[in-house]
Amino acid sequence: MSADLAIVTEGLLKNYGAVRALRGLDLEVRRGEIYGFLGPNGAGKTTTIRCLLDLIRPNGGRALVLGMDPQRQSVQVRARCGYLPGELRLEERFTAEGLLRHLTALRGRKVDWAYVRQLAQRLDFDLTTPVRSLSKGNKQKLGLLQALGHRPELLLLDEPTSGLDPLMQHQVLDILRQVREQGATVFFSSHIISEVESLADRAGIIRNGRLVEVIAPSELFSRSLRRLRVRCKRQVAFDALARLPGVQLLTVYDDRQALLQVEGDMEPFIQALARYPVSDVETERPSLEEVFMAYYRNEEGK
Amino acid sequence: MKLATVFLHFARRSWGAIVGWGVMLAVLGLYLMRFYDTLAEQRAMLEQLVAQYPPALMAFFGGTAEMFTAGGYLSLEFFSYMPIVIGVYAVLLGSGMLVSDEENGTLDLVLAHPISRTLLFAGRLLGAVAILAAILLLTWAGFVIGAQGTTLGVTPLQMLRPFVALFALLFLFAALSFFLSMMLPSRNMAATVGALLLFVSYFVNSLAQIDEKLRPWGKYLPLHYYQSGHALEGLKGEWLAILLGVGVAFALLGWLLFLRRDIRLGGEGSWKLRKAKGGKP
Repeated sequence: MSADLAIVTEGLLKNYGAVRALRGLDLEVRRGEIYGFLGPNGAGKTTTIRCLLDLIRPNGGRALVLGMDPQRQSVQVRARCGYLPGELRLEERFTAEGLLRHLTALRGRKVDWAYVRQLAQRLDFDLTTPVRSLSKGNKQKLGLLQALGHRPELLLLDEPTSGLDPLMQHQVLDILRQVREQGATVFFSSHIISEVESLADRAGIIRNGRLVEVIAPSELFSRSLRRLRVRCKRQVAFDALARLPGVQLLTVYDDRQALLQVEGDMEPFIQALARYPVSDVETERPSLEEVFMAYYRNEEGK
Repeated sequence: MKLATVFLHFARRSWGAIVGWGVMLAVLGLYLMRFYDTLAEQRAMLEQLVAQYPPALMAFFGGTAEMFTAGGYLSLEFFSYMPIVIGVYAVLLGSGMLVSDEENGTLDLVLAHPISRTLLFAGRLLGAVAILAAILLLTWAGFVIGAQGTTLGVTPLQMLRPFVALFALLFLFAALSFFLSMMLPSRNMAATVGALLLFVSYFVNSLAQIDEKLRPWGKYLPLHYYQSGHALEGLKGEWLAILLGVGVAFALLGWLLFLRRDIRLGGEGSWKLRKAKGGKP
């Protein structure tokens, strides 16, 4: 294995009974990069991360984390990793700081408390709050603090901005960029394409337990899917728009209003739409599942 | 250091149970010890009364004509039924040693820290042992204080013996329940099966005292090796070793299963759920 790889998996297999969660996952994450792990629900993102930390055992294939076997050297691997679970559950009998101190003790007290306090301040988080009183978003912040506090070489984050308001999401992305600048590797899963676009150096797309491809985040943008509700001032024919490449007419409400779906580059569509007497345009981003479905339907059709 | 952290965390979490069970049983012990002399004063009358009871009933509750000896009295009034009372707590403690955290989802984060599964198991097992020992020591203290100035004539060290026997039995059931929690799909199921085995063992063993046909089966049950209050006269090392040995064997089997286990996420609690949903890919 190359020394500049933080994570390598080769043919990783994981079954839950009859369900095949990972079907030969091949993954390479370079040291010092931010790697976004994208995939619809049930694609195998959480399973991959939990295999890397030896929380679950693969049925086949192999994995190396920071050059170590996560099963045989699990303690050493976990000492150098920070982990944020996708379904974060915290023991509620502590205050936030009490819980961090307990988890710190499990790390052998190798935590930079000045750094933790600085991060807490940036996240506008009060460490004296009892865990049981924390909102979902604040629990997520606490989860991030425990993952980051010991300045790990590798961060494994399962949906790191889940439950946070847009301002805090922005703050977290900033922190992760800073962590990367300090030399850490960030491996994160996300459902939000724009988040991966803005944060990741590379994005891996997982589907049905296999890595389908690794792309530059800018490519995600060109493949993204949008829905637009177009309202016109007077009667128009929407068929001409639907004939543009990547454009689909989903619903015609009446002769002035329609719902269209645009895949990929928006420019031809915008140029064509400019010739219409548009009174209003509402856009919406379909779910990641829908984006993937559209993308892979096209790929399979080729 | 990390072992101490795991041990103290688990033991502290059960602080309420230690105080609750320990103080409640200590008060009961204090009362029973103070009551002994009153009972002894009315011995003649009580012996007449007891003579009218069916012998089988007395045998079932572990009492005999010896109920006025220290060992007989302690057995009848306390140690004969304690395996059921505090045994249920031991079953809950053992079944929840690791799986309750797994089911509420907090084990995932704990095991993402640099501690081995063996260390976590060892710290929790030591914690469970300490919790049971602390409850029994508090109870013992109640008995010792209560016995002061009575005609029972039992030294603190002698008084400790039946508690040692009870501890060995409780340890066995806690370890058995831990093993079951590693085998069965949920903590509730492990606790139910553990408690069922405890009750069956208790009743079959008790009935074996009065039913010849059941007697051969008795020796296969843990309660057969429990000395109850009669341990006052001296502990049977072999019986103690059997209880502790089987307990250790169950704990080790549970540990082996824990080493190979996929840590479930919170909410994944049964075979049915895992089959239907396939865990959380």
